[in-house]
Amino acid sequence: MRQYNRMKTLIVGSLLAAGLLPVRIGAQQATLTPQDSALHALNRLAYGPRPGDVPRVAAEGVMRWIDHQLAPDKIDDDRLAERERRFDILKYDRGDLAALYTEAQRERRERKLAAGHSADGSDSVGAQHAAPLPKQADPTIQKSNRLASEFADLAVVRAALSERQLYEVIVDFWTNQFNVYAAKGADRFLTPDYIEHTIRPRAMGKFEDLLIATAKSPAMLFYLDNWESVAPGSVPPTGLRVRARPIFGRRPGLFGPVRDPARQDSVRRRALERMPNGVNENYARELLELHTLGVDGGYTQHDVIDVARIFTGWSIERPQRGGDFEFHDWAHDRGEKLVLGVWFEGGHDMDEGIRLLKVLANHPATMHHVSRKLCQRFVNDDPPDGCVDDAVAAWKRSSGDMREVLRAIFHGPDFWAAGNVRAKVKTPLEFVVSATRALAAEPDTSPCLAQVVARLGEPLFLHVAPDGYPEQEAAWVNSGALLDRMNAAVALASGKLPGVTVVLDSIVPVGDADQLIGAVNEKILGGTMSENTKQVLRRELASIGDPVQARALAVGLALGGPEFQRQ
Amino acid sequence: MTISRRVFVKSGGLALFSLGLDPLFLARAAFAVRPSAGPSDRRMLVCLFQRGAVDGLNMIVPHGDPIYYQERPRIAVPEKDVLDLDGYFGLHPRLAALRPLWDAKNLAAIHAIGSPDATRSHFDAQDYMESGTPGVKATPDGWLNRYCQHDREHQDTAFRAVAFGPQLPRILAGTAPSLAIDDLQAFGLRAPQPAARDRLTRAFEELYAGSATGLLSTSSREAFDAVQMLKRLDPGQYRPANGADYPRGRLGKALLEIAQLIKADVGLQVAFADVTGWDTHVNQGATEGQLAGRLSEMGEALAAFTRDVGERMRDVVVLTMSEFGRTVRENGSSGTDHGHATAMLVLGGPVNGGRVLGKWPGLDPAQRFEGRDVAVTTDFRDLFAELLARHLGAGDLSAIFPGFTPDPSRFPGAISA
Repeated sequence: MRQYNRMKTLIVGSLLAAGLLPVRIGAQQATLTPQDSALHALNRLAYGPRPGDVPRVAAEGVMRWIDHQLAPDKIDDDRLAERERRFDILKYDRGDLAALYTEAQRERRERKLAAGHSADGSDSVGAQHAAPLPKQADPTIQKSNRLASEFADLAVVRAALSERQLYEVIVDFWTNQFNVYAAKGADRFLTPDYIEHTIRPRAMGKFEDLLIATAKSPAMLFYLDNWESVAPGSVPPTGLRVRARPIFGRRPGLFGPVRDPARQDSVRRRALERMPNGVNENYARELLELHTLGVDGGYTQHDVIDVARIFTGWSIERPQRGGDFEFHDWAHDRGEKLVLGVWFEGGHDMDEGIRLLKVLANHPATMHHVSRKLCQRFVNDDPPDGCVDDAVAAWKRSSGDMREVLRAIFHGPDFWAAGNVRAKVKTPLEFVVSATRALAAEPDTSPCLAQVVARLGEPLFLHVAPDGYPEQEAAWVNSGALLDRMNAAVALASGKLPGVTVVLDSIVPVGDADQLIGAVNEKILGGTMSENTKQVLRRELASIGDPVQARALAVGLALGGPEFQRQ
Repeated sequence: MTISRRVFVKSGGLALFSLGLDPLFLARAAFAVRPSAGPSDRRMLVCLFQRGAVDGLNMIVPHGDPIYYQERPRIAVPEKDVLDLDGYFGLHPRLAALRPLWDAKNLAAIHAIGSPDATRSHFDAQDYMESGTPGVKATPDGWLNRYCQHDREHQDTAFRAVAFGPQLPRILAGTAPSLAIDDLQAFGLRAPQPAARDRLTRAFEELYAGSATGLLSTSSREAFDAVQMLKRLDPGQYRPANGADYPRGRLGKALLEIAQLIKADVGLQVAFADVTGWDTHVNQGATEGQLAGRLSEMGEALAAFTRDVGERMRDVVVLTMSEFGRTVRENGSSGTDHGHATAMLVLGGPVNGGRVLGKWPGLDPAQRFEGRDVAVTTDFRDLFAELLARHLGAGDLSAIFPGFTPDPSRFPGAISA
């Protein structure tokens, strides 16, 4: 039956690609017009349509457009590239950022000391975000703060402006699947590099490559503490002991030479106390639970411990300087291990970690877990088994090529089923970016849009826990969040969001109430405006004399209203 | 004991002055052990979730057990620093702000409490603690919401159940109305003039009433009901009473806003806030350090809250909870990994305070769960059920905790009889 469905899908898909058929697939026998199917695809594979996108994609043929999106390298994206050049953050590598942040950190500490506060530089998962700046901030501090917020805005700008929309969507998916918390210690300066060089180049490649890259990334090693996980009783070579000092901790000699011998002793003792002396399970557990098998993937506490032993010694060369991955053979547990029934004989080094990652990447539980999450993102919060099965089959066929897995989802009947169209509520990022796109608004490089996304509950790269931001509507729809969305919508429509230029004339020209409602429905809501919404708008617009104000109100109510929250 | 006296004078006594806890409140609160004076619908439960799994052993320290010190050479709180409670357990020194509440018998701890489910996944364990159905993932709603669904003696007002934060937590998900408020001052639509604000409010209210479906529909209705009620409050003008000084940060702000709603008589019955930063895998610290910083913020926020709420604390119980505890033995990076049982705190006028409740299993490896973690001797549902029954007056506990038969003989005894 599935085989038959797939064949039918392929045939129908090719007809659709040729623009010959309305989308008419699936058990519900839903009929989507070419316009409807274009809108649906733009809502799910992209961050919503820009003015003119729906007719353009419908004319091109929605399946053909999807195929193009699945090959992002072939899509010209010069406009975004030009815009990216304005982001200073991309001109700094990991080491530059580390130096800058460390300098800013030192500056802050000295200021605190000068102000009479204690210089507790401790830094942890739970640490709050950087404190507000003092009035006359040091240029280094200002610069490091600006770069930190610039990176979040770069993500929003890319989502809004890129022609490679599906690519940006999938980058966001992996960013959450392999979440790191950018306010934890060295992750302040390791995260941009992680997104740019670990996630983005592999977002549409093989899952196995992405998994191995994240496992070796300094950002992940630091975030989930694996860089400090060592075999019990292992002793670092003397040269390394100096390096193994706490990051941002009170380091000996930071404020000049330490002369007091008693203090010197206690400093040495403290440094020794903080030397890793055993296994840390954090990464091992989240690798199995979140990155690969899933919590019901059939592993045990024993598996967690042996996975942690396999990754002992996977560390970072000088994290405080933004260093790269480094394998410490002195810290590696060379004993034998047993994970998920797979035997790892003794005497191995880093190779057994790579072997384990390959086992995990190709494990049936991983295929199911990650495929299901993809279907949650693209099809339905509670995806039907059929689309997950299709994705898993494509995964097996292609050895985990994400393009093929995605293709299977988009060609499957569930993606197009009437019950799944407009069935998902937008996340804050999707809401803000889709509103920006709907108005063809021009964001500049100020961190304004990222701040709106943060205010709506999704500060980018700042999800503390390793599970990443959730995909389900229950996580995002609540009383306070809805009011916040309405406020953001009104502000955007009336051009009151600093850092974003909105010119409505070409999208919704001023006019009488019926003209406004017609234009807003067609251009912004893709024709989904309900009768009730039309009535409310008509009544509200009737009492406003100023045509520009009336237009802003109509657009604001549409963006903040219930139709626009769905995709 | 000499140690504890000295520490009390040094920390507790000092805290009394420096935090300015009102001795009058303490005296009154100590007498007001039973909230029977007021109507039962004035009683309130405030839940504080320590997300990330707090190390119960460093929060309520079993300093009388040498195994504690053997297993934690780098992170144990030294005996001299522990604020002794009963000769065996003691408070982490950075919880000194709570010491006066303990002395006034308004604070109790429950140790070795947790889930019957063995998971060490943060997310599953939090989910079970909030759904109230350990081991069952399909439960659609949370136990605080089910309490609101089944307890019909209390009126549903817009503010009956409120979570503070950008998301509505699992514990309050469900069919009973519940609000999520990230910032009470900013709750509502913003416009330069009141007339414009009212117009926007009305228009959006009608858009959602007529066109929204599912969660968008119910959430928006709850939002606009609350906006209506808030019109007569002026959240921006709120000043904490009795000189209460909340620590900066999300937790202090959430507790301040809860105190504000309590005093505004808007019908608040259950409130929820969460606080992160307890997942101390690395360099957790002992008397000072990472965990100490989190505990300090929590202790000071709770102390400020009780001071601010003042006399009305006779109707309020605050419960702290966390998804599980942490390993007895410190790990290789001076931290602790995911464990099993932890400790919870209850405080407020109705609390049977001044004692560490629960059955202590001991730290001997033979007594531990899977040889490594503190064993669970109190099912968290026994504590939650006791608070709902004896404090809020819930009748039908089996509907609130499906698949569980609450038995008063197993209640830990957190509420004064």
